[in-house]
Amino acid sequence: MDSKQDLGRRLYRALLRCYPRDFRDRHEADLLQAFDDRSTEPRFSGIGGRVRLAGWLTKDLMRSVPLLHRPFTRPGGGMMGELVQDLRYGVRMLVKNPLFTAAAVVTLALGIGMNATVFSAVRGLLLEPLPGVQDPERLIQMYRVWGGLDFGSNSVPHYQDVRDRTGDAFESVAAWTFSPVALAEGETTERLVGMMVSANFFQTYGARPALGRAFIPGEEDEGPGAHARAILGHSFWRTRFGGDPQIIGRTVTLNGHPFEVVGVAPRDFKGPVSFADVPIYVPIMMAREVAPCCAHLDSRGNNTFNVVARLRDGIAEERAQEAMDALLVQLREEYPDHYDRQLGTRIIPQSEAGFHPSLAQASMGMSAVIMTVVALLLLIACVNVANLFLARARDRRQEMALRLSLGAGRGRVVRQLLTESLLFALVAAVAAVAMAAVATRALGAVQMPIDGPWDMTVDVDGTVLLFTGVISIAAGVLFGMAPALQATRPETMSTVKGGGGGVGRSRMSSALVVAQVALSLMLLVGSGLFLRSLQGASQIDPGFDEPRNLVTAALDPSLQGYEDEEVWVLLDRLVADLRALPGVSEAGMVSWLPLGLNNSDRGIEIPGYTFAEDERRSINYTQATEGYFEAMGVDFLEGRGFARSDDADGKPVIVVNRVFAERYWPGESALGKVVQTAGDREVVGVVEDGKYGSLGEAPTPFMFLPSRQVGPSQATLVARTRSNPGEVLGQLRGLVRSVDPNLPLFDVRTMEDHMGIALLPARIGGSVLGLFGILGMLLAAVGIYGVMAYSVSQRRRELGIRVALGARRNDVIRMVVGQGIRLSVLGTILGLASAALLGRLVEGLLYNVSGLDPVAFTVVPALLIGVAALAVYLPARRAAGGDPLEALRSE
Amino acid sequence: MAQLDDVLPLTNTVFHMLVALADSPRHGYAVAQDVEELSDGRMVLGPGTLYGSLVRMQEQGLIQEAKNPGDEGLHAGRRRYYRITPLGTEALRLESARLLKTATVAQRRLEG
Repeated sequence: MDSKQDLGRRLYRALLRCYPRDFRDRHEADLLQAFDDRSTEPRFSGIGGRVRLAGWLTKDLMRSVPLLHRPFTRPGGGMMGELVQDLRYGVRMLVKNPLFTAAAVVTLALGIGMNATVFSAVRGLLLEPLPGVQDPERLIQMYRVWGGLDFGSNSVPHYQDVRDRTGDAFESVAAWTFSPVALAEGETTERLVGMMVSANFFQTYGARPALGRAFIPGEEDEGPGAHARAILGHSFWRTRFGGDPQIIGRTVTLNGHPFEVVGVAPRDFKGPVSFADVPIYVPIMMAREVAPCCAHLDSRGNNTFNVVARLRDGIAEERAQEAMDALLVQLREEYPDHYDRQLGTRIIPQSEAGFHPSLAQASMGMSAVIMTVVALLLLIACVNVANLFLARARDRRQEMALRLSLGAGRGRVVRQLLTESLLFALVAAVAAVAMAAVATRALGAVQMPIDGPWDMTVDVDGTVLLFTGVISIAAGVLFGMAPALQATRPETMSTVKGGGGGVGRSRMSSALVVAQVALSLMLLVGSGLFLRSLQGASQIDPGFDEPRNLVTAALDPSLQGYEDEEVWVLLDRLVADLRALPGVSEAGMVSWLPLGLNNSDRGIEIPGYTFAEDERRSINYTQATEGYFEAMGVDFLEGRGFARSDDADGKPVIVVNRVFAERYWPGESALGKVVQTAGDREVVGVVEDGKYGSLGEAPTPFMFLPSRQVGPSQATLVARTRSNPGEVLGQLRGLVRSVDPNLPLFDVRTMEDHMGIALLPARIGGSVLGLFGILGMLLAAVGIYGVMAYSVSQRRRELGIRVALGARRNDVIRMVVGQGIRLSVLGTILGLASAALLGRLVEGLLYNVSGLDPVAFTVVPALLIGVAALAVYLPARRAAGGDPLEALRSE
Repeated sequence: MAQLDDVLPLTNTVFHMLVALADSPRHGYAVAQDVEELSDGRMVLGPGTLYGSLVRMQEQGLIQEAKNPGDEGLHAGRRRYYRITPLGTEALRLESARLLKTATVAQRRLEG
């Protein structure tokens, strides 16, 4: 046999795969033998013969393959045989009616795809352990508990004590905090949010640098300012430095200071927070160069760091808790001033703590809401598809009836229909996974309004695929079951004779109408609540005027080496220049703007007031200069703001807010009263309450200290503009540049942009749920129309008879619409009840809006009943308007 | 197993294959060769058609597998042999009678 023949035989052998498996198993040898036998025949020899042989075999394959795939008509083929048959039939149904298939698959894919996307996001961002971390289950984060403060951060000296004195419980203890830096390299300067970390940071997480080395404990955590070294995040190294392997030893400039790159973090370790990808790490000891606000490394009161620790092998969390409690007792003895009021230490597994435990509850709550919403969307999609199937089942009723009458068991027919719907669901699942892959990528590209190394990238991995598969099968059973049961009801038998349905034929579609309306209502009320919350959040009075016309910029003269008096000379000149701008009506300075990410608190004593045991004694505060209150437009209840004369030579003063005054001096004027914090301070003014930490917070005590008396640790310029804030922003940059071109300027923006941070939770909730709400509304409208139209069309014959018997068309329409509306109202009641439960659950996540918001709870149902009425009116009019005889003949 | 009514009338292929097996068991290739000869070379059964039909005919109970009756040709030991069953014989008898009757009438009319 020559090689050509060999090739032909191999090809034929490959083509034998077209035959059913059992046939191939049995006769492959025979078929190949036949090929060999024929090959030796003279008529199939030579080139012409080979071509003839090929043509003859092809014809034979084409004739015999379909023949052998047709199921044998012997009774009982076993479960597998039936399954294969059903699948084959299902595929044929998929292909036969492409429009139907497309409608069903797209609807389902939307529903399943959104679930898969949300599942990947929630799992990737909240539930999964940190990637690239060794034994993540042994990492814990610790927080200091004070009266009124559950999750307090840690100062550097406190961290050092924990690190050095808890060796029995912890293998290693690290500290980190986010820190904005300006990175200059060549001509370009860019602002990054990097991280200050303790020297043992990478060791604690068990992350081995991909290149170079980690910081070395005992070296980079000694001598403040002595070791200007940096480690780059892996993706930052790749995008900003092109993955240059020669990066080690290069110098980058951070806030004007040269830093030597000593390492590149491993590829899979993106930092201690799951939704961030940290671009650069520097040692805490370089805080003075990187983040002067946190530069007081030796201050026990400067609590800005997160502390994470790795439990020793075999040490349980309880044991670690005991060690921390014992340490607190020691520290109280050593530094009574600093520890007397600390109630304890809270230890939380790293996976549960995330970015900050106080946010964990809200983000889990929000995730639960979003997951519920997408689950509702999927249910609505299922109802829609069930309806499509129901309509098709009607067309196939004769077929089903014939099968049943020919002796197919009901279970057998149900199984066939379910196989079909599962097949649809699986096709939809494939589309859904594709959709989720696109959607999660889009999520990774989302720009957050807060500066930060945010990275929302999540993977569509095996678990997501498994999840998608499971919900697809559940969906397939769900939307397939109703039509399958309906199609095989005993009364279907009468259909064989060509009659209409039977008694109770519309019960199933009535149930679908009610379910559809109820589900849509829950979803839409939920979305409505969050949209109202977004509206509510933007209507919350933050305690100052028109943020759009407020211009802000942060700077720190000490970065450029200015000292004490020079700082004030510089700042005063800047504020004076700002005030002189024609577009500016008032200007001042403050250390931290309200509604940002910074907050500071300090302990107070009030002569004549006794604090309860667990009452919080530290109050959030900021430092301000004259002009600040005026520029912000803060209302005074009594007294005055700060004056130029409130300086080191003047009497110590303080301004407090309404809650503060009412709490400590109820029923009295606060003016002239004394607050003991950084000396005895006399209250000179009481301002209206504002929002300081978040827009959703309850009115909370707050105090303002005069910068000129306690020192400008960091200055934020605030200017009220008359009209064009954009122009003033430009002028402000120019002013600073003309005074000192090297002075770095941060966060140059309007107060409105700054408040993007505070509005973020409401914006995320509002936009995500708003989007789902619109999708849900579309699905619901289509679904309700479909269900209504179907149930009306089922009654065409009956309606025709009524018209033929003399009923007026309008009466018929009214009757049908009335019945439709009754069903919608029933659905609305069910939906409202469930939505009310849901509303109560999400109340904590809403701003300025009750969980039973009257607007959401009236507008949405009205809208939905309107849609339902229209959805039933259109088909009713058509049904009543047609020729009654036509209708009678139609079935 | 099917009844006579289910298999009649026989298709052209099945009829020829039954004829080929009518007097003695044969292997597949021999059946194909015999059919080709019977049909004056007009029916050349491809492997798929041949074995597909053999499978179907077994399902219907027209033929069954048989032992090699003593052939010693090429690959004789490896080949599958088939023989006609009583149902197949009966079906072939009825079908050929029907064809004969029709053919006789046809010839008589053409002559007449």
